[in-house]
Amino acid sequence: MDVTSGPAGSPTTHNARSDAGARRGLDGDAVFRVLVTGAGVTVLALLGAIILVMLFGGVQAFSTFGPAFLVSNVWNPVSNHYGALAPVFGTLVTSVIGLLIAVPLAFGAAFWLTQLAPARVSAVIGMAVQLLAAVPSIIFGMWGFFVVRPLMAHYVQPNLRHTIGHVPVLGALVQGAPFGTGLMTGGIILAVMVMPFVTAVMRDVFSSIPPVLKESAFGLGATRWEVMRQVILPWSRRAVVGAVVLGMGRAMGETMAVTFVIGNANRIGWSLFAPGNTIASLIALEFPESAAGSLKLSSLMALGAILMALSFLALCASRLMLGVSSRQARR
Amino acid sequence: MSVLAGDLREAMTSSAMIAVKNLDFYYGQHKALHGITMDFPKRKVTGMIGPSGCGKSTLLRVLNRMYDLYPGQRATGEVMFDGRNIVAPGMDMNRLRARVGMVFQKPTPFPMSIYDNIAFGVKLHEKLSRAEMDARVEDVLHRVALWSEVKDRLKSSATALSGGQQQRLCIARTIATRPEVVLLDEPTSALDPVSTARIEELLDELKKEFTIAIVTHNMQQAARCADQVAFFYLGELVEIDSTDRMFTAPREKRTQDYITGRFG
Amino acid sequence: MSADHALKQASATPVAAEPDRWRVGSALVARRRFMDRLATVLSLCATSVALVALVSILLTLLVRGAAGLSLVTFTHSTASPGLNGGLANAIVGSLIQTAIAIAIGAPLGMLCGIFLANYGRGWVASTTRFVSDMLLSAPSILIGLFIYQIVVAPTGQFSGFAGGLALAILALPIVVRTTEDMLALVPTALVEAGIALGARKWRVIVFICLRAARTGVITGILLAVARVTGETAPLLFTSLGNQEWSVNPAHPMASLPVTIYQYAGSAYEDWVQLAWTGALLVTLGVLAINIIVRVGFDRKGA
Repeated sequence: MDVTSGPAGSPTTHNARSDAGARRGLDGDAVFRVLVTGAGVTVLALLGAIILVMLFGGVQAFSTFGPAFLVSNVWNPVSNHYGALAPVFGTLVTSVIGLLIAVPLAFGAAFWLTQLAPARVSAVIGMAVQLLAAVPSIIFGMWGFFVVRPLMAHYVQPNLRHTIGHVPVLGALVQGAPFGTGLMTGGIILAVMVMPFVTAVMRDVFSSIPPVLKESAFGLGATRWEVMRQVILPWSRRAVVGAVVLGMGRAMGETMAVTFVIGNANRIGWSLFAPGNTIASLIALEFPESAAGSLKLSSLMALGAILMALSFLALCASRLMLGVSSRQARR
Repeated sequence: MSVLAGDLREAMTSSAMIAVKNLDFYYGQHKALHGITMDFPKRKVTGMIGPSGCGKSTLLRVLNRMYDLYPGQRATGEVMFDGRNIVAPGMDMNRLRARVGMVFQKPTPFPMSIYDNIAFGVKLHEKLSRAEMDARVEDVLHRVALWSEVKDRLKSSATALSGGQQQRLCIARTIATRPEVVLLDEPTSALDPVSTARIEELLDELKKEFTIAIVTHNMQQAARCADQVAFFYLGELVEIDSTDRMFTAPREKRTQDYITGRFG
Repeated sequence: MSADHALKQASATPVAAEPDRWRVGSALVARRRFMDRLATVLSLCATSVALVALVSILLTLLVRGAAGLSLVTFTHSTASPGLNGGLANAIVGSLIQTAIAIAIGAPLGMLCGIFLANYGRGWVASTTRFVSDMLLSAPSILIGLFIYQIVVAPTGQFSGFAGGLALAILALPIVVRTTEDMLALVPTALVEAGIALGARKWRVIVFICLRAARTGVITGILLAVARVTGETAPLLFTSLGNQEWSVNPAHPMASLPVTIYQYAGSAYEDWVQLAWTGALLVTLGVLAINIIVRVGFDRKGA
């Protein structure tokens, strides 16, 4: 579509009138090109700036603690000693819990919406699922704090402790006072938040399968589930993994929903019901109490850089998977 | 077969694998088939010809109720197959499709190995041991003349095969489930002439065991492969007769126009 | 009864002892049917989990939020506990910061979208596209940290403008993505027709392509509005929040999400009530935009 790129209309080959017109137009084109290219470069520069600001902000922490910053689970403002391990641990654990719950649900919902539900029902329900994705994260936080947390405190954890609390390995996962806050509650809130996103991507993938492929499987007498399990899923495996990783990225970066229910404790333990922390929550909670230029602030920026790297990795991985399979789909 | 002499009518019906009677078909409000009545004789090839949109593919998709996948499509009338009206409600669709297999216009290998493509359909309906499955796969690949070409790479992806090979694989996949009827929806229209010829040869073999219905745009193909030919026009069955008579002495003018037009 | 056996039998004695081929392999058939039913039921359950969550959230908001909704909510600013405060400053603050965000993010995003759709070639374009996606999925709290470091810290002043700027970075990639997608849908013939009339490329893009893609681009901007209106994390360290009425973007500014965050966990009954009321307002606003966009856009698409 790059029709007029370059000085196609050389002034010498034109008469005076069209020459003037061409030159005026050429100027407009050149200006416009600079403008839009500038916008593109601005976006590029913006991300570069964000990364640089995080890294420079974290330099003090990285240079003070060295590589130990990454493997220390101490977070002690009194002794001014900080390590990233506890919030990184919390971030990964809550995200993994969230995905373990969300992915099967999202798969089920996408299966139902694309293969089982009548078109009109699917459109309405699908939209409701999308609305769930649009609910602001702070609302999930409040809902989690006032609705989910009491459920966890009064029913889920006591029951789990009662039933599996004495089993050797599993028992350790459910220890602790039943506050209702902690990694598990954070994970559950994340699951509800991430599920609609993963559902949306899976829906797109599942409905992009060529109809003839589905028909051939049905033509052999397969049931809807067999077609899903044995034809659609293998066909879209990479894209599904991409969707899951994309959800992982979202879960790791989520702040407000988790902050309400995570419990804000920088420690690492076996219990999923013990209070914990995530990188984003720690930043949200501790930043207002950090003096400019302090080692604490720098440690938070360093954590920000780590979070940026984690979400960057997740995006790269998901793009790789989704990209490949969507190219496949178009062929 | 103990056909009573003189009872011609019973002989006719017992040799009809599928008997269609007064079949109407609707895409939503649009009526696409008007009162079709015809038989598909056992172990014969029935060719279905006609211009695009004449309803021949629609009829084919009624015979295994493929239309059921799409809302708003419905059929009324009677399609008798093994004692049951298959367009009536309460049909076990999976069982029906196991007995009436289908091959599509474009080759549709599943994204799995050659072996698994064939095993897929078989596993749905039968519990076979490893050895039995191996034997079944080898058998059907022999019958579609694909065995020598793929025997060393049964575990590699089916999508890497050529178009003609893929289509033969799809036929193998269909007959591996041991259907009684095989429906072919323009099976060679996406293939080169050499691959087309091989598929046509294959049909001659297959009709010894299966009842075949083939939709085709290609008049020569219908003449070469079919035992009887049905000509459809604007959703109506204009004429159905033995292949010889259809191409040499059609009764209807519309048939003649279509056939001669295509023959040039 | 194996099918193999059935077939042999069928060809040997077709009429007399024909087995009923409609009923075969009962165990296998039963298992397959069971699996299909199970999968259907489970997938329906999975879908209902999302619906139950949505309904639970909306009901909770309605029940707890509507109780505090009155004229005061819109006419009074937040006040100390017991002084019958409203949310006027937070609502206006949210509107101002969203407006700043869109005023900066939308034009920049559209230009970048045009760049990607019509000028972008090679690695620059694909990198820009990737970076835009990166911004789209970047944790929003980091955007807040970023603006704090480059705007708030140097000026020594939390401000509504800084908040708007942070939100602009969040709105930007949404507009970029939709603009590019919508421009890509404009038929090439339309562009060629414009060029053939002697129009310059930039005129064709701005007056023909962008106009043809208008609905989609507006959709993108509306979605960006919906997204940034509900954002809390990027505002915590930028516009900070303000108890008083303030419309000066150079000063700290209240916003609904931050007010909700600050009040929801407080010990004062009326503050918690204000948080619920604010939550109801934000959610209704955001969902309303989403419904308008999706229903309206679907109709256009059909």
